[in-house]
Amino acid sequence: MKCRTYTCYKRRMCGIFMEREQLREKLVSAASMPKDVVLGAAVITVLGRSEVCIENYRGIIEYTDTLVRVQAKDGQIRLTGKRLEIQYYTNDEMKITGVIHGIDFPDGRGQD
Amino acid sequence: MIRSLLRYLKGYVKIRVEGYSAERFLNMCSFHQIYIWGLCPVENTYEMYLDIPGLKKIRPIARKTHTRIHILERHGFSFFLLRYRKRKLFFAGLFFCIVLLKTYSLFIWDIHFEGNRKWPDETLLEFLDTQGVAPSMLKSNVDCPGIVKAIRGEYNDIVWVSASIDGSLLEIRIKENEDTFQDSCAQPDDDHSDTVQDESGQNHSPLQDSEVSGQNNAVDLVAADDGIITDIVTRTGVPQVHKGDEVKAGDILVLGRVDILNDSGEVIGYEYRHSDADIYADTEMEYADSISLTYDEKVYTGKSRHQPYVRVFGWTVSFGTLKAGFEYSDTSTDESRLKLGENFYLPFSLGMRSRREYTLEERTYTREIIQQELSARFALFCGELEEKGVQIRGNSVKIHIGSDSATASGTLYLNQRITREADTEILMIERKEPDESVGTDN
Repeated sequence: MKCRTYTCYKRRMCGIFMEREQLREKLVSAASMPKDVVLGAAVITVLGRSEVCIENYRGIIEYTDTLVRVQAKDGQIRLTGKRLEIQYYTNDEMKITGVIHGIDFPDGRGQD
Repeated sequence: MIRSLLRYLKGYVKIRVEGYSAERFLNMCSFHQIYIWGLCPVENTYEMYLDIPGLKKIRPIARKTHTRIHILERHGFSFFLLRYRKRKLFFAGLFFCIVLLKTYSLFIWDIHFEGNRKWPDETLLEFLDTQGVAPSMLKSNVDCPGIVKAIRGEYNDIVWVSASIDGSLLEIRIKENEDTFQDSCAQPDDDHSDTVQDESGQNHSPLQDSEVSGQNNAVDLVAADDGIITDIVTRTGVPQVHKGDEVKAGDILVLGRVDILNDSGEVIGYEYRHSDADIYADTEMEYADSISLTYDEKVYTGKSRHQPYVRVFGWTVSFGTLKAGFEYSDTSTDESRLKLGENFYLPFSLGMRSRREYTLEERTYTREIIQQELSARFALFCGELEEKGVQIRGNSVKIHIGSDSATASGTLYLNQRITREADTEILMIERKEPDESVGTDN
């Protein structure tokens, strides 16, 4: 019973959150404002299959030579590949090189 | 490249981070503005590069994240000095090198001239040497305004000079008066100021000249060549010829002696002037040029001798010899002076003297080539005349090819200035004493 109540609460909160998020996104689009600055969206620049630059992130969650998980404001960024190496890592920007296989965005809230 | 050099100068280390939450260590490093590069996972640890200020800041972060740090490699100039701190002679050599470099930079090692056409570098260098300006002099003793004044004072036809020090090079830029390249008989009146130059080298206007009626300035204009006058414009003096007159070389064209007449038309005195006029005449000039049909051509045999040498402070040390018993040979020298950067010249030169053997083989010009050669030489001669302001009206030059040689000969019909200055004949007038017997006293 308790569990059902918690699940309902979580679903309701999630819905409210999503509505607010969508509203903010629409407002930003209507005002033509940069989303990375206003919403804190991560900026990912991919150069071919060997280089990825990520900006606007919070930190590294996991790092091996085949997987890099980076936490951004609105979720995780999952980068898979081979011989992945972080060329530099600063508070603003990181550059990952290696053979990139894929970039995906798992729903961080659902998985966490 | 520059970033790598700066990193090397500042010094950096390669570290290994191991522990339970090494990712947290990375995030805290970025939060504390510690720059990390070359990050790669090795087994269950991370290896990365950090600079020295970053290394000093990671100790509390490592304690907080329960990670252990191992320094794997040390790179950079500071570590290099630390590693070789016991090698005293190396540091002495380094210090000596810096002192030597600084000492060398206190001197002028080369003088470079730019813009000089009439006066060669060697002449100007010799003149500067007499003024105490020479390579290997102290930079602090160089007086650039003094050099400029000295050059302007010595050479009248250098109208603009600039002297500047660039590194160890004294750079002298010169602008010469291009009018002085023209024929010396032409007056420098291109700017229509009607100035003339007297023997003392001072310029003064014809107006001033006319005021001076001294006999020392008396100059006639005489014909330098035979011809027929086509144009005459007299500024000072008494013209003796008219347009269309035929004159012989040496005839007086403008007389510098002006007669002073009394009311009855008798000459009572003379006034002497420096004659000035533009007089053009049609003249003729004989042209003759000949070329031998055979000529010797150099054929290199491929044999050569080389002699490398080193020049230090004017002293030359050579290696080997150029003596090889060649009958005919060309000798060439290729020398390059060592320099640091662009303008810091050192007193060391490396050079190579080479001697190449050749033999002479007799060849014969073909008819077409010899015609082209003679025509080219004639065109060059005409071009030189036109540069001097001589107008060529026509010519009757013909090429004749004989058995041994080819000649181009004929007459050139010209229109040119034919004036040449000559001293005016000074005449004295015998003054008659007034007749006292014819008195008027009644």
